[in-house]
Amino acid sequence: MVDHPAVEVEDLHVSYGSTPVLVGVALTVPAGAGVCVTGENGIGKSTLLRCVSSLQQPDSGTIRVFGAAPGATPEFWRAVVTTVEPPTWYPGLTVHEHAELVCRAHGQDPEEAGIDEALDRLGLAGHGDAIPPSLSSGQKQRLTLACALLRPSSLLILDEPEQRLDPDGRKEVAALLAQYLEDGGSLLMASHDESFAAASGAAVTTMESLLPDPS
Amino acid sequence: MSTVTVPLAPIRRWIGRRQSAHRERGATAGNIYFALLFVAIVGGMVHKQLAVVFWPSAPNASGLAAASLIPVLFGLLYLALRRFGPLALSRPAASWLLPAPVSRRRLLLPSLRLAAIVAAVVGALFGLAIVGHAAPRTLGGREVALLGTGAALIGIALLLVALAAQAGGRWGDRLDAVISLLLAAGLAGLVTDASATGSVAAGGWPSATTLLPLVGTLALVVGLLFAWSVRGLARTPNERILEAAKTAGTLFDSAFGVEPSFLTDMIERRYWARRHLRSVRFPARLPVLVTQDLLLVARRRRRLLWLALAAALPVLLAAAPAALVGIAILLGTLMAATTSAGNAKTDAGNPVLLRLLGLTSRQAVLQRMWVPGVLAALWSAASLGLLSALGDLPTGPWWALGLTLGPVGAVAAIRRARVGFVRNELLPLDTPMGTVSTGPLVNAAIGPDALLLGLPALVAIAQHHPLSWTSVVVQAVVGGVGARAYLAGTTATDRVELSSR
Repeated sequence: MVDHPAVEVEDLHVSYGSTPVLVGVALTVPAGAGVCVTGENGIGKSTLLRCVSSLQQPDSGTIRVFGAAPGATPEFWRAVVTTVEPPTWYPGLTVHEHAELVCRAHGQDPEEAGIDEALDRLGLAGHGDAIPPSLSSGQKQRLTLACALLRPSSLLILDEPEQRLDPDGRKEVAALLAQYLEDGGSLLMASHDESFAAASGAAVTTMESLLPDPS
Repeated sequence: MSTVTVPLAPIRRWIGRRQSAHRERGATAGNIYFALLFVAIVGGMVHKQLAVVFWPSAPNASGLAAASLIPVLFGLLYLALRRFGPLALSRPAASWLLPAPVSRRRLLLPSLRLAAIVAAVVGALFGLAIVGHAAPRTLGGREVALLGTGAALIGIALLLVALAAQAGGRWGDRLDAVISLLLAAGLAGLVTDASATGSVAAGGWPSATTLLPLVGTLALVVGLLFAWSVRGLARTPNERILEAAKTAGTLFDSAFGVEPSFLTDMIERRYWARRHLRSVRFPARLPVLVTQDLLLVARRRRRLLWLALAAALPVLLAAAPAALVGIAILLGTLMAATTSAGNAKTDAGNPVLLRLLGLTSRQAVLQRMWVPGVLAALWSAASLGLLSALGDLPTGPWWALGLTLGPVGAVAAIRRARVGFVRNELLPLDTPMGTVSTGPLVNAAIGPDALLLGLPALVAIAQHHPLSWTSVVVQAVVGGVGARAYLAGTTATDRVELSSR
């Protein structure tokens, strides 16, 4: 995996009906690096992330994640974590148990994985016994990120992770993402908050700069 | 702050006029015509079956059965009223009229009236059915009419109690528990009655002269309570009405889209929202999804209790053809397994968490089948064991046959949980009775169809011969092979999502 870039996108075309959204987009995320895509609403950031996460089929173009085509295989989903789609929380399972379930499924010892610490850093320490649907939208976003960051992975694909977070929460999440990059992970995210992206250690690039040169 | 109340009637009339402006002329009359036609045709088709249910040609219930039916039927009525409100508004009215400065009592009165009519009709039908099964045919028309009226009044009284519980505090929940207990006791009475051969109830029915003052007093009390409830109608808290409005809306969505999962999901969400949970540590030895299913089951102990009680219900069919007992056992197996299939349903609906867990679909489904399988096995073993102990089945190791039904129940329940939404785009069937949409029919069959794997057990029960161990082994092999085939055919080791894309 080390030999390949984390993400390579070439000449990606996606349109919804007759409306082209992505036209010839190219993007590379080197392994161990972070890239944050910015741009106005509707420019196709989420579509790009969905294609890279294999959740949407592009009309044409090539996508490689660690040198291989993204797919629905267990190997892919053990290497990649995405928050492009919101989860449906399990019924009757508490916040803490959701985190523990994710860790256990990856063979981690919950003690060593640092669930309590992660929940504490994301301001969920007092909500361990709550069920996720009872949390506020910002707290649900924190829980999603906590689960994503607790389990082992090589690439994070995050769609506006700062969404619905208060300033302290943004700072904490940016620090966690910077830590993730430091530990050797790769990051591809879309965001509207450039200072958040900078704090997380990701290189900011606009959607326009991913398009082919018109000349 | 002004406390001027805006009159409600003109608003309602205006809404009615605007709504009818969008409808075709005569559409309402057409709908009523078709509804009446439907009732007439269906009534004509099933009137014999209805007669068996409500007024068999001769009374056939013992005193115990009749006495047990009262808490069962009226308990069900009360619990249903509590589930659905009982006081509800349509969703638009809840959004726009509830926060408006209109008289709260007038806003809610039509709903109360409708609920009272429904409760009275259902109560009267229940009363009539009980009288029809237990009373000697010498009972006069006046007595029957008075008993029916009394039952209708009890229906309204139950509605008023449910109404007070809707507005009131925690006593409502406690009363629900008491009514549930009465219901369980009634079911136990029915089972006891079916296992013994009680004599058909004979005389001792009161005459019209005794009944008249009783029913009159009851009418007076219910009337007073009703008036008192109407006076207190405005005190029903907003959030309870909003909740009931959502229920009514979801019920409508479910009926309109022929999609029962809307309603069951809502009930499930509300249940968990009220619970206070404490996080537990997952034991390291068990597979992680099995642990999660066990946790879910352990947190719904009351469901387990009902399931255990329901194991006795096939005894009620002891007098029916043996094949019917077999079908009831298979359906019960599915029901028992479904109790713990909720997590599989979540995974099938949205694979985001499955992707986060990173397990293969085969691992996930296999782990999700364990707890439903064990529950199904224990339930059918208990049920068949009880039938055998009561002498309703010939000799043989029936409990072992029950245990072998575990995989069958697990496959059926997981298949059911993975079914997804009704496909309403399937071609409708034109029949002489009208158009039948096939989507809901196909959808309803997915899951129960896997019960065909229990065919050896069904045949063994239907034959009513002594059971041999060979039959048990045959069922065990068929169930085991079927479960393996299901796993191999619908999951893959190179896919995370439960459904293939």
